[in-house]
Amino acid sequence: MADRFDIAIIGGGHNGLVAASYLARAGRRVVVLERRSSLGGAAAVEEIAPGFRVPAGATFAGLLRPEIVRDLGLAGHGFEVLPFDPLVTSVDEDGRVLRMWRDLGKTQQEIAKFSPKDAESYGRFHAFMLQIARLVDPLMLRTPPNVKDLTRGEQVFLLRLALRARRLGKQTMGQAVRFPQMALRASLPEWFESELLMATLAVDALIGRSAGPFSPGTSFGLLQRYLPEVHGNSWTFVRGGMASLTDALARAAQGAGATLRTDASVARIVTEDGRATGVQLESGETISARVVASSADPKRTFLGLLDHSELDLEFRNRVLHTRTEGGLAKINLALSSIPDMKNDGPAPPRLRFGPTLEYLERAYDDAKYGRSSANPYLDVAIPSLADPSLAPSGQHVMSVLAQFAPYRLRRGSWKDEREKFAERVVGRLEELLPGIRKATIARQVLTPVDLEEKFSLSGGHIYHGEMSLDQQFILRPIPGWARYRTPIAGLYLCGSGTHPGGGITGAPGYNAAREILKDWTRRAG
Amino acid sequence: MAASTGYDLIVIGGGHNGLVAAAYLGRAGKKVLVLERRRVLGGAAVTEEVHPGFKFTELSYVCSLMRPEIIRELDLPSHGFQVIPQDASFTPLPDGEYLYYRGDHQEAVQAVSKFSKTDAENLSSFSRVMTRMAKFVAPMLMMTPPDLHSLALTNLLRLRELANHFLSLDEEEIYTFFRLMTMSSADYLDAWFESEPLKAGMSSSGIIGTLLGPRSPGTAYVLIHHYMGEIDGSYRSWGFVRGGTGGLSYSIARAAQAAGVEIRTAAEVRRILVRDGRAVGVELANGEKIYAKGIVSNADPKRTFLKLLEPSDLPADFVQGIRNYNIIGSSGKVNLALKELPKFKALPQAGPHLTGVITIGPDTDYIERAYDDAKYGDFSRRPYIDMCIPSTLDPTMAPAGKHVMSMFVQYAPYNLRKGTWPDRREEFGETVIDTIEEYIPDIRKIILYRQVITPWDIENEFGLTGGNIFHGELTPDQLFFLRPTPGWAQYRTPIKGLYGCGSGTHPGGGIMGAPGANAAREILKDARFGRV
Repeated sequence: MADRFDIAIIGGGHNGLVAASYLARAGRRVVVLERRSSLGGAAAVEEIAPGFRVPAGATFAGLLRPEIVRDLGLAGHGFEVLPFDPLVTSVDEDGRVLRMWRDLGKTQQEIAKFSPKDAESYGRFHAFMLQIARLVDPLMLRTPPNVKDLTRGEQVFLLRLALRARRLGKQTMGQAVRFPQMALRASLPEWFESELLMATLAVDALIGRSAGPFSPGTSFGLLQRYLPEVHGNSWTFVRGGMASLTDALARAAQGAGATLRTDASVARIVTEDGRATGVQLESGETISARVVASSADPKRTFLGLLDHSELDLEFRNRVLHTRTEGGLAKINLALSSIPDMKNDGPAPPRLRFGPTLEYLERAYDDAKYGRSSANPYLDVAIPSLADPSLAPSGQHVMSVLAQFAPYRLRRGSWKDEREKFAERVVGRLEELLPGIRKATIARQVLTPVDLEEKFSLSGGHIYHGEMSLDQQFILRPIPGWARYRTPIAGLYLCGSGTHPGGGITGAPGYNAAREILKDWTRRAG
Repeated sequence: MAASTGYDLIVIGGGHNGLVAAAYLGRAGKKVLVLERRRVLGGAAVTEEVHPGFKFTELSYVCSLMRPEIIRELDLPSHGFQVIPQDASFTPLPDGEYLYYRGDHQEAVQAVSKFSKTDAENLSSFSRVMTRMAKFVAPMLMMTPPDLHSLALTNLLRLRELANHFLSLDEEEIYTFFRLMTMSSADYLDAWFESEPLKAGMSSSGIIGTLLGPRSPGTAYVLIHHYMGEIDGSYRSWGFVRGGTGGLSYSIARAAQAAGVEIRTAAEVRRILVRDGRAVGVELANGEKIYAKGIVSNADPKRTFLKLLEPSDLPADFVQGIRNYNIIGSSGKVNLALKELPKFKALPQAGPHLTGVITIGPDTDYIERAYDDAKYGDFSRRPYIDMCIPSTLDPTMAPAGKHVMSMFVQYAPYNLRKGTWPDRREEFGETVIDTIEEYIPDIRKIILYRQVITPWDIENEFGLTGGNIFHGELTPDQLFFLRPTPGWAQYRTPIKGLYGCGSGTHPGGGIMGAPGANAAREILKDARFGRV
């Protein structure tokens, strides 16, 4: 194809597709280039046994921006969320069970079984988290400002934000500034006494991150749990699995005129006089475009797809030192049946094992020294309970997130360690759901090394880089380059390595498209 | 006992910050009384003869952070304050290797190049960046933090001053500052250096006095403090105070007395007297009541608000804020009287390497593992130790030919899971000796006397809640406008006429004197408006 495109997008993950849609809708000629034979990146479904379709990457869709769902008419393209309840069922070592429901009152009743005081506190805590979440929510779809050079619009926005924060009242505002910087170990005990409740909340803040609950700044991660509630959503499955979100996004992009190509692995970004002019595929084919937008992670984009000489050493060093080593493993099971919980009825849609803050911290201790956790914590989803189409009739698929499985092992390699770790996870599962081993028809184990290979995620980090305070907002992916632009003219980033980071939000793609169009108009004018 | 009266201000606690506040207030013409519970002044900055002929600076041991403007304004040198520069840095390693350099930068570069050429090259630019950061932070130490909520004019002016100060940084520097505030010292240093002894030595400064490890986010910030000294012209200008750190306290006391301040020791305050929401005086342990127009507390926030006041004197959410204030101690001290100088396996002969800071903490993992023990409520099996031998520089500290060795030991968490500190004190002491024996094989043969100070002792003897040497953790959620609790970082309290002036206020712990000087400034401002 000799067609010259306006914009070539590297990677057909959800952010790449979101960006493609918005750009195509603005009249640009867009091509999306996906290395794999299917679109979706980590929003993918794989068949691990005939008829058993598991989420190979992301499982939940709660964070997807409602603005994007609406703008792109995703519902019309077949995207349907499947809410489940209880939101999480958490079990401790003594087999006690805590269920957290969509309904606040119901959740409080459940907590009261553990501590009436906590039940009361949870109401206030929930309100407090929502207050912070509402405050932060508008930032999700904003481009981080240049701190030294605020535009008039940014000044107004920040002033408004400050005034909104002020309206929370002196007490709450102070707490809102203090809370995100705290360790979960420090913040949660200010509200609660029940270990199981605290640990259950902590897992939400820690999944996908390389940190323990004793690490300062981990309370920040709790925001992700409460952000969907700002829009009246919560954690949901997707009918047909995450792949149908991908399908909907692909249809929206195509409907807007974008060209989507799979099996089109980009080998390098082509530049001319410091300007991106297109990409070259592994096949040798060159696709020229006025703008290149990469939804690959920053390390892959800058260190893998560009020639060394294109970027100055300082910049390359910065990219090299971003923290992108993942610690999360995913274990998918095809099950002939779902065993009941030990003494507690049928298995729930989302089951969690990580009973105390100390348990979570000790799991992280192993990772700190480059070992997989001797006692990992588990966040288990059974999407087929909400969507029977994912497995043959009466049978099920299960997807387990287990921490920690550090990307870099100090001793041995994941090749030898993979099954041992999976066995530890399944051993724990067997205690929670006796009989699960026997019911297992097929098993897929994805360590960070596998995630890196499968989805081209540097370090196997599901968020394209650690989501800690030092790599957020104006510091993401690296300080000074948080505005989707790069040192190379015409090259943009549009993936999870940019603000507001990982998770199925679509926000990086949305924001990047806006910035690309802004520059386009400026250049045209 | 008869009630005394007639004071403008009473300062509770004769620690260095209380004395600094008193001196400034006295110089402004206020009639000030300082009340110290112990028989000696200086709070945690004290030096006592614990063993005949041997003087131990029991808690704090080096002096680098004391604000130069305070030294100058109170004219401390003429009151006997003298710092003996301590420019050597010695890190023995378990394999007999060592990292050692003295003051000047060139020498440090050379010493480091033994481990890594790249690190040696990076040292200069690292030091340039950190010095710039220190220059930025230094004026903030003497600033009253603004309140984020108040729209009062003075507060808005403070906010503007802060914003302007912030914008004095260039873009790159702003990012560096944010990163230092949010990163762990290990991560921050990993981007600069590769050799373990260098990184460990540097990152240890990020964890001193806190219950955090070098891999805990937020610890990078403290690296800046190490470069404060450089602004005043000397590289990492640590120093001993002649006569021990207590010598500093006494020089401030003399400066205060010269300004008319009255100081009483062995005068323990039992409670702060409040009438109609206003602090009007104090009651001593012996029942004596002393009245004044304003009360300034150098005690830590928990002690001040939860012990010296009734909860009913304060708003409930404020009390909750103070209860939530994190003030769990994490360090102890072991002081030794030595027959002779210790012989290090790595560098056995006597020499200048014994005159500076000697660090036991060979690599980042070592320190992190020490922290892991403490996280779960035990003291470190192999602790991080900052050691010095003040008698090598100041012979008045020990009898001729003999020495005192002071060891700051981390981690020793205040809350032990097994046993109590009084029961386990000597076991802790033994662990420390076992640790240094790996570096000084003959150490046991030369010990004449051993003093072990645990967080429990620090709390009971020195009145520091939780045995926390900084009056509360120095983590970002408890710094600047959040110290001690959000909304109350301006040295004032919910009780009119009651002020905080200790390390539990901005800018926090360490022998800086800044909280005392800042509090005095705010009090004098209120006094001008007739509020005190």
